[in-house]
Amino acid sequence: MNAQSARVLFRRQLLAGGRPRAGAGAAERGQYRCLSCTARQLQQQQTPPKRDGTTHFGFETVAEALKEQKVRGVFSSVASSYDTMNDLMSMGIHRLWKDHFVRNLNPGRNPLTSGPSEQKGWNILDIAGGTGDIAFRMLDHASTINHDAHTKVTVADINPEMLAEGRKRALETPYARSPRLNFIEANAEKLDMIPDNSIDLYTVAFGIRNFTHKEDAIREAYRVLKPGGVFAVLEFSKVNNGLFDAVYKRWSFSAIPLIGQLVAGDRDSYQYLVESIERFPSQPQFRDMIQDAGFLVPGQGWEDLTGGIAAIHKGVKPA
Amino acid sequence: MASARSPSALLGTFRAASHRPATAWRQRCSYHSQEYTQPPPFPPAESAILTSALSHVPSYGFTADALRLGARDAGYMDVSTNLLPRGVFDLINYHLVTQRLALKSTVQFPSTGDQGKKLGTGAKVRTLTLARLRANEPLIHRWQEALAIMAQPSYASTSLAELARLADEIWYLAGDESVDSSWYTKRASLSAIYSATEVFMTQDKSKNFIETEQFLDSRLGDVMKMGGFIGALSEWADYTAHSAVNVLRSKGMRV
Repeated sequence: MNAQSARVLFRRQLLAGGRPRAGAGAAERGQYRCLSCTARQLQQQQTPPKRDGTTHFGFETVAEALKEQKVRGVFSSVASSYDTMNDLMSMGIHRLWKDHFVRNLNPGRNPLTSGPSEQKGWNILDIAGGTGDIAFRMLDHASTINHDAHTKVTVADINPEMLAEGRKRALETPYARSPRLNFIEANAEKLDMIPDNSIDLYTVAFGIRNFTHKEDAIREAYRVLKPGGVFAVLEFSKVNNGLFDAVYKRWSFSAIPLIGQLVAGDRDSYQYLVESIERFPSQPQFRDMIQDAGFLVPGQGWEDLTGGIAAIHKGVKPA
Repeated sequence: MASARSPSALLGTFRAASHRPATAWRQRCSYHSQEYTQPPPFPPAESAILTSALSHVPSYGFTADALRLGARDAGYMDVSTNLLPRGVFDLINYHLVTQRLALKSTVQFPSTGDQGKKLGTGAKVRTLTLARLRANEPLIHRWQEALAIMAQPSYASTSLAELARLADEIWYLAGDESVDSSWYTKRASLSAIYSATEVFMTQDKSKNFIETEQFLDSRLGDVMKMGGFIGALSEWADYTAHSAVNVLRSKGMRV
């Protein structure tokens, strides 16, 4: 008898206090940095998309004006240890991705097969390429594979520390003093210094994730590209296989911040890194964003790398 | 009486009412793709680049250079060849798909043949296969490059699927209406014959590819003989198996 009445009472309490209790639970959970993060992610997806002055910074919601500063802060603090960290986090695979990205785009105009023409070489704009990773590969590919000594790369980055790192590294390449490589500090959403229809190839490797307004950046890319020009993005994406995804999530949310803390002495920046990867749109969503800006997409619109950990998206400006 | 008649009257109205949905349902079921115009197989920008790239294949082969020149002719740039994710294979695939779809309009059969009798399915298959092979003529000196690319492991499955689609198209256009297992054997054997003849044609130096034509005829002849033999064999096996079962049954065995 006694036990039964107690059970009834408990049930009633549940019914009465169901709602506030659930709310309290969510708030409680909010204070923790959770590893699986699905609960938190769901919570944040319910909030309507920004444009009302706030945007996401990893899993945090911050004022739009702040995001740029915060991203700048992250990359200022990681600039010096950027390469070591990339190698450790991706187990060296990021080099393969970048090599494939560049080889696939096949930059450079081969003077032996293309015959005489007024335009010499490609005009490449590498956005968010501060450390020059993509730029040096582009120039190497153009020179050694396509025998093209005219292709130019402009490296743009919002972060002076990353540009300084790139300039330092350029000294070890043959391009340091040549007019084929130059560095500019620029925000990808406002490329005022670059005229309309002037770029053959616009690339962003592991950068677009950090942009405050991705749509604006894509529209700006459309503006600066020549008709027929290519917009190419190498970016972290969504893993297709459920099992592999579970392993990958475990690695990225527990190991990467730890490696960041141990090697670079900066846990927060790397926590931001994995959270921003999680927040980046899936392959079809990002493909639709590129299409919405007016680009033609080749085939299905993207190519998965290593099971979807990263993906290459391309768009061609119609001629 | 009135009460007795009403159920049948009701049934009558029910039938009248149910008649219309039934025809509508039948109309919905009888979808035939040939009654509708199909969307073009490639988007306009890709078609423009690939069409002009094909015109460079005789001199540049199936290479990235042909693609680049094609892109330039179509008003695009070198970099625009990134629109074709599989590069040169997209060029080959374009040729295969467009030539397969062109068969429908390039080959027309008269209602009666030369001697006043109707053209048989076999003769139609031969004509269609030859017409498809002749479509490779302008590129035949470069076709081995294409075959090599098609045989690459990453493209082999797509190429085989395209071969199957070609065999299906030829049998369909020839008016084949088989709905038994010969549907499969016909397509399989035609695929084998077509690919063998295609390889033979790359080596053929005879005038107007007369040797290719002979090669095709003898392969088709082989299949007829083989088909007849296999048909007779399966009939014999079927008969023998049934008789054996019946003999056992007559001996009182519960089979």
